[in-house]
Amino acid sequence: MSKSYSLTLTIRRFDPDASRRWFQTYTLSTGPILRFVDLFRRINVEQDATLAWTSSCEHAQCGSCSVKVNGRPMLACELLVENAVNLFGTTKFRIEPVTVAPVVRDLVVDWEKAYERVHRAKPYLIEPKELPPGMTEHRISPGKIARYEEATRCINCFCCAEACLSSCRNFIGPNAAMAGIVRMMDIRETQKEERLDLLYSEEGIYRCHTSKACSHVCPKEIDVAHFIALAKEGAF
Amino acid sequence: MGKTLQIHSTLACDVLIIGAGGAGLRCAAFIHERRPDLKVFAVTKVAHPQKSHTGTAQGGLAAVDPKDRTDSALFHMFDTWKGGDCSSDQNVVRKIVAGGWEEVQWLELRGMHLSRDEEGNISKRQFGGHTVEFGKGDALRAVFEADRTGKGIMDTVWGEALKGGALFINATVATELLFNEGRCVGAVLFKVKEGEFVAALAGATVLATGGSGQVYRITTNCRNNTGDGPAVILRAGLPVMDPEAVQFHPTGIVGPGILASEALRSEGGILRNKDLEPFMERYAPKMKNLAPRDIVARSIEMEIREGRGIMNPDHQLEHVWIDLRHLPDHVHEVKLKEVASFFKTYANLDSRTQLCPVRPSNHYHMGGIPTNEYGEVQKSADAIVPGLFAIGECACASLHGFNRLGTNSLLELLVMGRCAGERVLSFLKENRAPAVKDAGEATLALFARYLEAQGKENVGLIRQEMRAMMTGKVGVFRDETGLQEAVASLADLKRRAAQAPVAVKDMRMNQELLERWELDNLLDNAMTIAQGALMRKESRGAHFREDYPERSDEYQFHTLVSMTDFGKVCFGKRPIDMSIHESGGEHAERFGIMPRKY
Repeated sequence: MSKSYSLTLTIRRFDPDASRRWFQTYTLSTGPILRFVDLFRRINVEQDATLAWTSSCEHAQCGSCSVKVNGRPMLACELLVENAVNLFGTTKFRIEPVTVAPVVRDLVVDWEKAYERVHRAKPYLIEPKELPPGMTEHRISPGKIARYEEATRCINCFCCAEACLSSCRNFIGPNAAMAGIVRMMDIRETQKEERLDLLYSEEGIYRCHTSKACSHVCPKEIDVAHFIALAKEGAF
Repeated sequence: MGKTLQIHSTLACDVLIIGAGGAGLRCAAFIHERRPDLKVFAVTKVAHPQKSHTGTAQGGLAAVDPKDRTDSALFHMFDTWKGGDCSSDQNVVRKIVAGGWEEVQWLELRGMHLSRDEEGNISKRQFGGHTVEFGKGDALRAVFEADRTGKGIMDTVWGEALKGGALFINATVATELLFNEGRCVGAVLFKVKEGEFVAALAGATVLATGGSGQVYRITTNCRNNTGDGPAVILRAGLPVMDPEAVQFHPTGIVGPGILASEALRSEGGILRNKDLEPFMERYAPKMKNLAPRDIVARSIEMEIREGRGIMNPDHQLEHVWIDLRHLPDHVHEVKLKEVASFFKTYANLDSRTQLCPVRPSNHYHMGGIPTNEYGEVQKSADAIVPGLFAIGECACASLHGFNRLGTNSLLELLVMGRCAGERVLSFLKENRAPAVKDAGEATLALFARYLEAQGKENVGLIRQEMRAMMTGKVGVFRDETGLQEAVASLADLKRRAAQAPVAVKDMRMNQELLERWELDNLLDNAMTIAQGALMRKESRGAHFREDYPERSDEYQFHTLVSMTDFGKVCFGKRPIDMSIHESGGEHAERFGIMPRKY
């Protein structure tokens, strides 16, 4: 428990006032189970209050703190120092903002812009099915739900979109596509036509090159590529 | 440097909802369903509404299913009244409990992925303190979506608000309420990302800013829960209610404080101190590790205080162990899957073979902005502020009294979101928003002071000191001396905060400036908590005074505290509604003053 690491964090910074971009290096001595968000906070308190970064729940339930660590999109709140050292085989880390949205300052991006894709995918039941007569709620068998339950765990951290080979161009992106696929599979959605139009549109799932990078980087361990494959087959 | 701050623009809407978590967006969705023609602004501090703290709630949503012959609303009301240590308002309890199942249906019809039983019906699970027949047996009353019920609710209300056409204003806080002739007519917003102040004029304003857990060093609350709503209320000269009623969850994971579910103990986990002694046997010989939350929390704190805790070197935090090593593999892999994975993720420990570090963690503030059963904000026990509403954790109606039952918070935020929405609509019919003068002058002066401050103090360090002090002196255990020290210490921290400069002067995404403002909010909240706890010379629910360990009828009222000058508090009282008891109806005798014993 008394192990200590000497870390070098090189953070990409952006000052919107001066339109200045640069890399800044911070060194910290830290124990093994501090998270990267704890390191950012320590930098703020001990070294540099001006470094801006985003987080909210800080336990992988909200998806606000996605950053690139040595090129890999990850949640800073669940990356422990010791695990990072083992994963990358180094104590030197380059930390950059994700590129799925414009940078506002330092590691803070404009998530609202990234979410426009999810909003286009209509993350709600467009037209909910009416209740059968005499029923007060729908009956849905656990087996039916099990087919898409994994996809409902998505927190829109956009790590998949960041890693996706296709999403920077014309593809709506893996997480936004999945928001539509879940509702295609939900028996309570009656607007399947509109959903298909969205999924098979110009920015739809045929833009996906099946690199499966999405599944590889998902912090929630969702097999995103599996759901996109189902949609390509029409096997909802 | 030296740029003059100004109100960038003035916006107008019908309803201004400040806080777009579960409560705020339930309210927005309701208003859109009834009145699609209205313009609703949903302001959120986080980057997008889906990032709200409601999304982290795990266990369930309490609601009595009218189809269930074994359960009844009356049983749920009794449990809530008893659990709240006879400090809930019975009119509010009745209303919220009665509205529960309607909310479950609303969510289900709109796509929430509630867990199902084999027949495809909505599953229910048991939760601590929820009983049938007035404590005779366990109630199956909590509907859930696996271990992410809050996320299911958040995704549904966000989707519905979006579908209805709510206008989201993200990464934005409200810094000042606007009034005209005593009526609330909107608020000044600080758009953090853009660095702009705007005046938002509204027919009705709803505060739904969430919790204030960041007042404490160890908390299950998110980074953004800095008590902004209550602080803005205090600055408007209005009171907050029962701030001293703060719930601590016994088992937060060291270090961040992430909630490790009660299931740890109910599945057979054993709490141990540094000598590996199963110490709960000394504090609760009968119930041992299954004793109620507050007793377990106090026992753990006592072990730590008496030197039988363990120091975590990374987080510099003392804790005890929870021992799960003796439990069969399938319990780790199935029943405790989520929390076992939390220990792995946040402490790199395997709960099957290693002891896991836990300690009490601030969890929920029962108190908040006082409202009546319609969500209308009160300026005193018997007068409201027209045009101003408050719902969710920032508000206090009060359903939870001095201690909240698990799964009752999700119930409350949904029902009160809808009820406040109803009231907003009837209020809009009768009233039009008059214009306002001098909007934002107080905000601009405040932020100018932050930007101009000089000195050697450090916002982050002051915040750290405050949080550690609050955990130590105004936490699970409280006493006269400690509370007086806390009040003095807060005054000192407030003075030092004035000498903390902000290095970045550019307004866009100025995290330093935001954190400086948050520090003032945290200090305001901390001061009312400490002062309320000092005033209340008794123990009630989660408020535990070592020097006054019993509940006292002398304090059978809600605390109202207002504070226009930091530290100078003014107390008032609000009677606790006992209308169920006084109605003389069936089982009314169950709703009298009783000891909270399980």
